[in-house]
Amino acid sequence: MTATSQPSGTSRLTEEQLLLRDAVRVLADERIAPRAAEIDRSGEFPDDVRELLAAHDILALPFPAEHGGLGADLLTVCLAIEQISRACATSGLILAVHELASLAIVLAGTADQQARWLPDLAAGRKLIAFALTEAEAGSDAAAIRTRATQDGENYILNGSKRFISHGSVANLVTVFAVTDPEADRHRRMSCFIVELPTDGFRVARIEHKMGIRGSPTAELEFTDVRVPAANRIGDEGDGFELAMRTFERSRPGIAAQAVGIAQGALEVAARYATERRQFGRPIADFQLVAGMLADMDAATESARQLLYTACTEIEAGAPDAGRWSALCKLVAGDAAMRVTTDAVQVLGGYGYIDEFPVERMMRDAKITQLYEGTQQIQRLVVARSLLGRD
Amino acid sequence: MATILVIGETTADGGLARISAEVATLARTLAGQAGADATGVVVATDPTAAATELAGYLPAVSAIADAHAADQVAPQRVASAVVEAARAADFVLIGASPDGRDVAGILSALLGRGVLVNAVGVDWDDGPVVEMSAFGGKLITRSRFTGSSGIVTVRPNVVTAEPASAPGTVTEASADAGADLPAVTVVDRVAEASAAAPIEEARIIVAGGRGVGSPDGFRIVDQLAEALGGAVGASRAAVDSGWIPYSQQIGQTGKIVKPKLYLALGISGAIQHKVGMQTAETIVAVNRDPDAPIAEFADLVVVGDLFAVGPAILAELRSRSG
Amino acid sequence: MLRIVVLIKPVPDPASAAERLTPDWRLDRTAAPPVINGNDEYVLEAALKLINAHGGEITTLTMAGHGATDVTRKALAMGATRGVIVTDDALAGSDVVSTARVLAAALRELEFDLVFAGIDTSDGVGGVVHAAVATLLGLPYCSFAARIEPDLEARTVLVRRISPVGYDVLAAPMPALVAGTQALGEPRYPSLKGIMAARSKEVVTRSLADLGLADGSVGGSVATTRVIDARQPPARAATRVVRGAPDEAAREVVDFLAERRLI
Repeated sequence: MTATSQPSGTSRLTEEQLLLRDAVRVLADERIAPRAAEIDRSGEFPDDVRELLAAHDILALPFPAEHGGLGADLLTVCLAIEQISRACATSGLILAVHELASLAIVLAGTADQQARWLPDLAAGRKLIAFALTEAEAGSDAAAIRTRATQDGENYILNGSKRFISHGSVANLVTVFAVTDPEADRHRRMSCFIVELPTDGFRVARIEHKMGIRGSPTAELEFTDVRVPAANRIGDEGDGFELAMRTFERSRPGIAAQAVGIAQGALEVAARYATERRQFGRPIADFQLVAGMLADMDAATESARQLLYTACTEIEAGAPDAGRWSALCKLVAGDAAMRVTTDAVQVLGGYGYIDEFPVERMMRDAKITQLYEGTQQIQRLVVARSLLGRD
Repeated sequence: MATILVIGETTADGGLARISAEVATLARTLAGQAGADATGVVVATDPTAAATELAGYLPAVSAIADAHAADQVAPQRVASAVVEAARAADFVLIGASPDGRDVAGILSALLGRGVLVNAVGVDWDDGPVVEMSAFGGKLITRSRFTGSSGIVTVRPNVVTAEPASAPGTVTEASADAGADLPAVTVVDRVAEASAAAPIEEARIIVAGGRGVGSPDGFRIVDQLAEALGGAVGASRAAVDSGWIPYSQQIGQTGKIVKPKLYLALGISGAIQHKVGMQTAETIVAVNRDPDAPIAEFADLVVVGDLFAVGPAILAELRSRSG
Repeated sequence: MLRIVVLIKPVPDPASAAERLTPDWRLDRTAAPPVINGNDEYVLEAALKLINAHGGEITTLTMAGHGATDVTRKALAMGATRGVIVTDDALAGSDVVSTARVLAAALRELEFDLVFAGIDTSDGVGGVVHAAVATLLGLPYCSFAARIEPDLEARTVLVRRISPVGYDVLAAPMPALVAGTQALGEPRYPSLKGIMAARSKEVVTRSLADLGLADGSVGGSVATTRVIDARQPPARAATRVVRGAPDEAAREVVDFLAERRLI
């Protein structure tokens, strides 16, 4: 039997999760996979995929049912991200960013704020971006300088954000800005929802990236942007903590993207190895190749199982949720990089050219080691938890 | 002494369906082995022609004229007309055609008797021993009835029809008052293609798949079928693409066939198709892809373009037939 | 308002190639993951389209032990309204007669305008059960349906039955039982909303006692047929591979056919 692509790791999944996973998988295989190469080549945001995900209620997964969402748990959202990413990392990111950027509203928004924004997001009618990072504040998120000064019923935003996924296609932006420069590092900033278009907002540039090339990564400039106080999420000073709480639930989403990318690469490599013949036999017969594939499977599966467990723990409110979140993202990102690099290796020269998708998958995988907290930051989080220094 | 009843089916023009001739031959063989009696029955608006044909295979045939056979759907009419004759017999044999299956199911309920379906072989050992193909042909099972009566549906091409040494008698009979089965009216009969025997009965099938590419592409399939005296079949891909009707589809959700020759053009041989034809006696495939699954179980595979190889085979066949 | 009962059966996934028999020659239904029998999905889709058009409800009915819940959930996720599962240890190894009696008994408890079934099951119990069920219930019966059009006002259903040359148009009064084919149209994939909604839909379980059939009259112990043995078919000879120019290949093929006396 040739290498199959049946999903594994079903022991923890409920019937409903299995059905959901399979529904997304079929959609990804039939409608998204054929678009993946073109999305990468053109570097254009695939609005048709966004439309597809919206039409199939996939973008509704992370939102509460009362606002038109499907109220899915974290594991279920990650299952969907994983299946989409297996076909196309850019497309998987659409759901991941949608979840990431809305978390502030879901976790800390008032009833009024949730009612105002969540229905459009659940319906996939509006997209939302997460704007924390700045040119001089990446890993050191607390060092942001974008400023929000109070002016009556409004805040005036000034500053710029860098490397913002979906920055140029979003209708809403979750912006973190300093409201009290004198306060402690972790009490300086607040969180705002900026509704676009709005005066003073500008997309200054779109990056040309190594991978996830269909996902627009933008530099956003805010020049005297007026934001109503009613758009502030939580109290003044809550911003940093809110960002950290967000990451707890969004890092697994990136881990899911990484696991999906790895799985996609593994399947291509395994299938290739059974079909490609050299020295009179399929190269899968050679132990050096079979061994690599086995290691790739081990890396992918262990990342997957850790992710699923992390989701369950975080959803259950485990006190060390931050550790789980960092662990799964750390392991999955490294697995994706390793597996995709090895996939290129298995395909040899063919792995290096765009006739096969693995070179794209390798370029796509790299970002999972960088964003949503670099692997180094993840290690710090894990070490702090381990050494009792939280 | 056991009695075996064969229920014969008629074709649209009133003749005997070929599958019924095969089943009758089988019944006669079993009767010989069992020291049993085999008889037949035909139900139709005018059953004479079919009953006479059936009597070529069995010692005695009842011909039942049924005024409603034309305007009501057949299985209920047939089952109702023969129910007492079936009850009186120990074993009932019928072809596993669409109508045959329905008759078998209806009689099973009326008589409370078991059914062994889709027989690919029947022997006798103090009752019928029925061979059936399981798991798409991966396994052949043998089954029997636990009691002394039962119904067997028999696939086409299991035996070759062989007339008896002397024709049997035909007796006119009237339908049993029998069961009061709800009538289903035939409002219209629509022909979409020229009259063709059901593909399951074909001895030779030439089938086209995704590789055929278009309805026009099917021309070479049709031509080869004609040259070989066979029927045209298709994989699901061809049917889904609208190149050929569903009635010609072979595979898991289509027809299961066991022809002497299955010639597959541009068919990959994936499992869903394979289960429909893998018990064919001879399988020949033409495919561009040497690693297509069909290459694993065909007897002969030509690696090449079916639009080049197909016409070449056609030309070769024609030249040899002179 | 149209009320349709759809008979669905879990079968071992044919694509998994993991089907097996138990030591006593019964189908080991736990060996391969269960899926909805292929043809049942088509009639379920037809039922869903009909209630979309006419309004109504779909009840699925399944007689099975292993796999009944899985296929019921999938059908509910596709849009069926509720599910009924008949399960009982005594039913293992049931034959056509028992299966038909049990399904008929379960149907007697339900109200419906139409009962749908797939014409065949891929696990080999070839398509006679639904005719038997219809007969036991005294329902008009049509098989090999390519199209099903109920007329609620006239209380009739028009069915296109596939024939070797095309199709016949049949008319039957409702309630009726219709067995349908792939020609009814591609089944939808369950939407995510449908999957999530399924968790709150009703699934009722009936045992033989619930159906008044616990008297030993049905079930594996009274099967009218039994499997004696099984064997693998003889292996095919190794494949002969022919390459080369079409003319040459054609000659080889025709020689081969002549050798086997096929021409």
